[in-house]
Amino acid sequence: MPGSVELFIWYLGTAFELAFVVCSIARKSFFTYFFLNLYMLLTVLVDVARWLVCRQFGFDSDQYMGCYYYTDALLTVLLYVLLVSLFARVFGELRFAKHMRLAAVVLLLGTAAFSYAVIAQSESRLYTGSVFAYELSQNLYFVGIVLTYLLWAAVLKLRETRTRLVQIVLSLGVYFSLNAATYALCNVAPQYGGVIHAAGAIGCLLPLAWCITIMRYSEDSRLAPAQLVAVPR
Amino acid sequence: MSRRLSAIALALGILVGATGLKAAITSHAKGVTVANSPAPAPPQRRPVQ
Repeated sequence: MPGSVELFIWYLGTAFELAFVVCSIARKSFFTYFFLNLYMLLTVLVDVARWLVCRQFGFDSDQYMGCYYYTDALLTVLLYVLLVSLFARVFGELRFAKHMRLAAVVLLLGTAAFSYAVIAQSESRLYTGSVFAYELSQNLYFVGIVLTYLLWAAVLKLRETRTRLVQIVLSLGVYFSLNAATYALCNVAPQYGGVIHAAGAIGCLLPLAWCITIMRYSEDSRLAPAQLVAVPR
Repeated sequence: MSRRLSAIALALGILVGATGLKAAITSHAKGVTVANSPAPAPPQRRPVQ
């Protein structure tokens, strides 16, 4: 089994994920933010499945590794769908929803094809599906980073005022940025063991931020629009 | 250019940007990027390739 700190972070994160779904149901927002809730619900189930596999076969077993990467790919695909649903909300009033869906499908299929091509280039790499799951998950994760920043820019450009939507997008952006920064730090300064724990701890922050957003603001909450900049003549 | 082609071009542009970002960050990578859930990554860190 993993160390006590890692286990604590794991349990805490799972509790926050479950808390988000409960808060969402309590605030009658489950279907309003369906994909967010589906993602969190599936993450809880995946956490439970991973814990059971870890307990049954051991932390360093092939079974845990296979389970980890397959479920991670599944969650990353769902995270992608979640991001597309947020795009649909932000651009909902503009009339290119159909083209946005086309772009989302092309992007997902393109990422899958690219991941396959990367693996197929190397000999004897196709004997295990977890390699493809790993590659797809990593590529989709980086696509998610780019999409989140685009969404962030769109929220700023369109002067989005729906508080919940803005908070959810901002927290996703912070989450992805912190994850990428931790990852870079892991590679630059691997001697600091605490950095590895930080990656897990960041996983707890996203459901916590979403919990606070759902509980603190209603669907009707609006941000005050930014003041106009006075241009000297 | 039609809107449909623009959508496809945008999707491919995002894919190129994402893979470029990945190459820049993971060129000397030793670990995996943990994207979902706080579960610890397996000790092997990557599946066998």
